Amino acid sequence: MGDSSKTSLQVEPSDAQATRFKMPVDSEQKATEFWLFSFAAPHMKAFHLSWFSFFCCFVSTFAAPPLLPLIRDNLNLTTTDIGNAGIASVSGAVFARVAMGTACDLVGPRLASASLILLTTPAVYCTSAINSASSYLLVRFFTGFSLASFVSTQFWMSSMFTPPKVGVANGIAGGWGNLGGGATQLIMPLVYELIHHIGSTSFTAWRIAFFIPGLMQTLSAIAVLALGQDLPNGNYRKLEKAGDKHKDSFGNVFYHAVTNYRAWILGLTYGYCFGVELTIDNIVAEYFYDKFNVNLRTAGMIAASFGLANIVSRPGGGFLSDWISTRYGMRGRLWSLWVVQSIGGVLCIVLGLMHNLSAAIAVMLLFSFFVQAACGFTFGVVPFVSRRSLGLISGMTGGGGNVGAVITQLIFFTGSRYSKETGITLMGVMILCCTLPILIIYFPQWGGMFCGPRADATAEDYYAAEWSDEEKAKGYHSQSVKFAENSVREGGRRRRPPLTVPVEATPTHV
Amino acid sequence: MATAPLLRLVLVVSCIGSSMAVLFSGLPNTLTVTASPAAGQVLHAGVDQIKVSWKLNESTPASADSGYKKVKVLLCYAPVSQVDRGWRKTDDHLKKDKTCQFKVTTQPYSSGGGGSFVYSVERKIPTGTYFVRAYALDSGDTEVAYGQTTNAGKTANLFDVVGITGRHASLDVAAGCFSAFSILALVFFFVVEKRKAKK
Repeated sequence: MGDSSKTSLQVEPSDAQATRFKMPVDSEQKATEFWLFSFAAPHMKAFHLSWFSFFCCFVSTFAAPPLLPLIRDNLNLTTTDIGNAGIASVSGAVFARVAMGTACDLVGPRLASASLILLTTPAVYCTSAINSASSYLLVRFFTGFSLASFVSTQFWMSSMFTPPKVGVANGIAGGWGNLGGGATQLIMPLVYELIHHIGSTSFTAWRIAFFIPGLMQTLSAIAVLALGQDLPNGNYRKLEKAGDKHKDSFGNVFYHAVTNYRAWILGLTYGYCFGVELTIDNIVAEYFYDKFNVNLRTAGMIAASFGLANIVSRPGGGFLSDWISTRYGMRGRLWSLWVVQSIGGVLCIVLGLMHNLSAAIAVMLLFSFFVQAACGFTFGVVPFVSRRSLGLISGMTGGGGNVGAVITQLIFFTGSRYSKETGITLMGVMILCCTLPILIIYFPQWGGMFCGPRADATAEDYYAAEWSDEEKAKGYHSQSVKFAENSVREGGRRRRPPLTVPVEATPTHV
Repeated sequence: MATAPLLRLVLVVSCIGSSMAVLFSGLPNTLTVTASPAAGQVLHAGVDQIKVSWKLNESTPASADSGYKKVKVLLCYAPVSQVDRGWRKTDDHLKKDKTCQFKVTTQPYSSGGGGSFVYSVERKIPTGTYFVRAYALDSGDTEVAYGQTTNAGKTANLFDVVGITGRHASLDVAAGCFSAFSILALVFFFVVEKRKAKK
């Protein structure tokens, strides 16, 4: 890092920095390609560290639901206790996600995520020692905080990958992380059965099983700290000391996030794709176990298949978002988000009406694809809402996801007012209603679902507007300008900038 | 002479009967079941025992038990343990009924009706309030009669079981150690970062 400043007078800075990376990069040193099976530092290494640590958080947060048929008898829980704990498990992350967004903006995703993950692992280990409804609620509440690492994942990917690739990077990182919610429904019953088979009584075996997610979480966070790095050029602290990165203030970051209406709308709609996904993770195993009388392992497998669809569905959403934007720009991203999420809502309505096991599984799988793809589509749009407050806006959207889960579980799945099937159908109706606000998102430079862009608006104006004139004079907004240049493709095919001088013409001023 | 068509009628009716779902409300209460715990007594899972005995009611004609081939004895939840717990709901259709989830024993039925069994309360029995019920099964393993230690409203003569916690001191210690390790790892990395930044 110190060498480049010595040689910058002699060699083009972009050359010196570009040759340091295995992957091709743009003017912000963000990777312009995505090599899934590579661990190339720092871009792909960051990708693998972030998705896996996030995966472990999901495994821990949803480790209890597949074992509920045992836990509810061991602790003498009622349906109300279970419902409350389910709400608690996703409510902690509402504010944690917003705080995480700010933390990423201020200290960087590596430190922010690892700290959060290591601070929440004690809650996972202590799950083995609980003995009442209130202690069950508390451990699920504190374990759920770790879901805020979603924000650091998305932030990290948005820092490492260029705009045309950010959708697919965010989609796979988010999707493979969310996969944990499905994998845990398989892992936990299997680990439990193994331990039970070795000789432990059932009420002890489930407790021992919780050490697995706890260990996974601890080890993945240590890997992030030891092997990860915040930005292509280094970590925040080093870069700030070298003067290469301006240290922004919380007040400014906060102001520019909360005054952007698009952040609020995306938070709401994310509550009805991701929030629904969280709700289903909490209720689906018990739903199949009780309604269709399958055993614990089968219920776990069915529940797992919902979350496992994330391997392809959410990344698919991100990939399709990027692909649609090559033809139709941001307007295509918005349209596809609305269509996919609405179809998810319809399928949710249908799921609650299925009384036959195979039909229910089939509808659930289709539903999982659409609702998870919608999450991928959402984070194809989020990186473009703001450059200055990217972290906080990712946090608001992510937090909105959890709010959706809290509200949905509170209204439909607590106590005995609605049967679970009615709750699922009504949740589908709510998805349809809460997805409508996407219709009013509008970017002056790229347009919205029903309106085209304003002729005189540019991406540079949009992102530079987040900085005051003094800040611009000091050059603090340089990253935003670079980002605006790199996101020119969001205008869609028709708005591509005209090509420069044709090769055949000779310069006149030789 | 008159018994032949009567017998045929009984056969036909019983065939139809067994192909329909068995309803609890349709079963006659012909067995008297007694269990050793007194009303309100607290038993501990894995420690205590229940002695269950059953016989045909004195008021029932002796020929009523001609179809009984086996007796299935179950441990059942009392209403207070079913409140707000949909997975223990009572349903009149026996196939869907979740009141009695723990099998005590299944034994051949001896004509004249007497039988008993000593049951050690298993460690998987959760904390709750219980009663004991016995079903008489026919040759097709379908319930044809029942008896229980409590009354029809399931309010009398109930006993409690305290389940095991499943906790162990070693688990608590392990949880504490792993938690401490996680926090210490974080502190370690922070200290290392600060030192690097100072250089």
